[in-house]
Amino acid sequence: MSLEIQNLHVRTEEREILHGVDLTVEKGETHALMGPNGSGKSTLANTIMGSPQYEVTDGKIVLNGEDLTEAAPDERARAGIFMAFQYPATIPGVSVANFLRMAVNAKREEPIKVKEFGQLLKANMDLLRIDRTFTSRYLNEGFSGGEKKRAEILQLAMLKPEIAVLDETDSGLDIDALRIVSDGVNAMRGPELGSLIITHYTRILEYVTPDFVHIMLDGRIVRQGGAELAGELEDKGYDFIREEVSAADAR
Amino acid sequence: MPASFVEESRRAALEAYEREPVPTWRRSGFWTTTLRKLRLDELEPRHHDPVSALDELPDVVRSAIGSDDLAGLIVQRGASTVLSRLDPEVAAQGVILTSLERAVEEHPELVREWYMRRLSHDEGKFAAATAAFWTGGAFLHVPRGVKIERPLQVVYAIDEPGTAQYAHTLAVVGEHAECSIREYCLAPDIDGQALHSGAFELYCQAGAQVKVAHLQDWGGGEVYDISTKRVEIARDAHCSWVPIHLGGRLTKQTLDIVTAERGSDMRHTGLYFTEGDEHLDLFTTDLHEQGDTTGDTVWKGALTGTSRASYEGLIRIGRGAQNSHTYLQTHSMLLSDKAKADAIPSLIVETDNVSASHGGTVGEIDEAQVYYMMTRGISRRDAVRTLVEGYFEEVVQRLDDESLEALVRERITAKLSAAEDAVEEFSAQR
Repeated sequence: MSLEIQNLHVRTEEREILHGVDLTVEKGETHALMGPNGSGKSTLANTIMGSPQYEVTDGKIVLNGEDLTEAAPDERARAGIFMAFQYPATIPGVSVANFLRMAVNAKREEPIKVKEFGQLLKANMDLLRIDRTFTSRYLNEGFSGGEKKRAEILQLAMLKPEIAVLDETDSGLDIDALRIVSDGVNAMRGPELGSLIITHYTRILEYVTPDFVHIMLDGRIVRQGGAELAGELEDKGYDFIREEVSAADAR
Repeated sequence: MPASFVEESRRAALEAYEREPVPTWRRSGFWTTTLRKLRLDELEPRHHDPVSALDELPDVVRSAIGSDDLAGLIVQRGASTVLSRLDPEVAAQGVILTSLERAVEEHPELVREWYMRRLSHDEGKFAAATAAFWTGGAFLHVPRGVKIERPLQVVYAIDEPGTAQYAHTLAVVGEHAECSIREYCLAPDIDGQALHSGAFELYCQAGAQVKVAHLQDWGGGEVYDISTKRVEIARDAHCSWVPIHLGGRLTKQTLDIVTAERGSDMRHTGLYFTEGDEHLDLFTTDLHEQGDTTGDTVWKGALTGTSRASYEGLIRIGRGAQNSHTYLQTHSMLLSDKAKADAIPSLIVETDNVSASHGGTVGEIDEAQVYYMMTRGISRRDAVRTLVEGYFEEVVQRLDDESLEALVRERITAKLSAAEDAVEEFSAQR
């Protein structure tokens, strides 16, 4: 059971952003994808999710053997992919609870029973230490940065995907919020979930230890390794990697 | 014999009616509201017999008011008041709810004091027609200090093509009285033309607290609605007014709310949903006549099909209305590439030391919101429907009337599902 990204080339109307990305996330594994701003990390996340802003010109996105390259975002979600957004949209007039119920039901044949939904919601809110009044607010309307990220993680917990892509979930969080989000991610970690944590900084990786680390530069994955690679990056910075890569290219 | 003041008023109005041409309303840009398809001389008042029970009312009325617990109800079908009821306990508190015709007979002094105080027969052909030809009508009076929780309901129904309905509601809420008023204008999907030419006047006396909701749903037939509605709010009184437009072949309405004395406060919240080839033309005025008055106006609309909707909202702060604070916002959401909307807020301030702001937008569904919802497994169709319902929710909740809220939500959902394929396609093209 896995998400496979094969030789992915992606462009916007203006230019090509990803120039052949290969990446496999097996269920049960936690991957970190690191890179500086503009390296193509968010493009990869949104292409995995099927954003209409990006066009795949070559390569494939395969989940559990099924080619999803052309699938609409809702089909991908129902197939088991989830993305926590860096900047989630505001949904006016729709409460967190109603939104979650819709999303949970979208994956089910029969709508979830009210009581079962209530129990599931309560359990996950306790896990993420979310206040009860939160669920009656309109989704992301007037939410602080930390609340938005928590709402994303709450959706992750409620929807139980096979593959979760966390797009810069750590950005803009203070240390308490980062800890709560990390605890949430750790609590969901297990043989049933493969995750791809996209981040600029190594901060979140102090709380969530990845099995694999990938470094992206200019639309390509240029280095791969274990958790120690994040430590190396922390010490040496992206410029070091960039120099190393251009030196290798020159040879 | 009807009281002479009404007869005099009718005579003057008839003169104006005969003098005035059938109007065309033009605005800058593409906007024109014309009645050239209305065959006015083929329409006439239709009279109906009174009914003795709710289940004898036309279906469209029964389904709209359902089993609502009302303090009073008056139903006009065509030209005739067919039902008039008031809870005896409410009547015992001095509340009057009856047809305007009867009120003129039974309470001439009271009616005379307020009748057409803020309305004029000299505001065009249809205002004159209403003032000259109204029959039935509704009169509500809530005496000083009386508080009525359950809604006081007025219904104007048209259920036959060929009907001309001239309707006049006069409502007076006394000092420190509190009540909730509903006026519904309803028709089934009639096959042919009809006219509702309406006047509504409401006076909220000092310290009164009033909620008023207008629900217009003329169905899929060719009902023309040309109406003027005016609300006056006296010293330290508050009125929350929610007009809702859910259907009508052509609607031209003037909706004015006047904060007339110091400390008066209003909240004006409107909603419309046009479909097919409907044409809606609304002009609202938020008029501040004295200082220390406050207002808050929000209008939201959505359009499908080839419908047209224009909302023009004027804030006017008169001389001597210092220290008034008000704002007005209007939003229109296009759900079809063949629909057209405009949203025109404007401002006239004739004094200083006030705060007034206004804004208007015409937009479409935000694709970023649709994408976000789809990444949660929700289909485009469900996402679009939910987003439109959510867009209206702010306005619907301001109704503060559970059964009316449910009715409005149900009607919005039904309209969206009727246009679902086209709306989904429109959203996917973006």
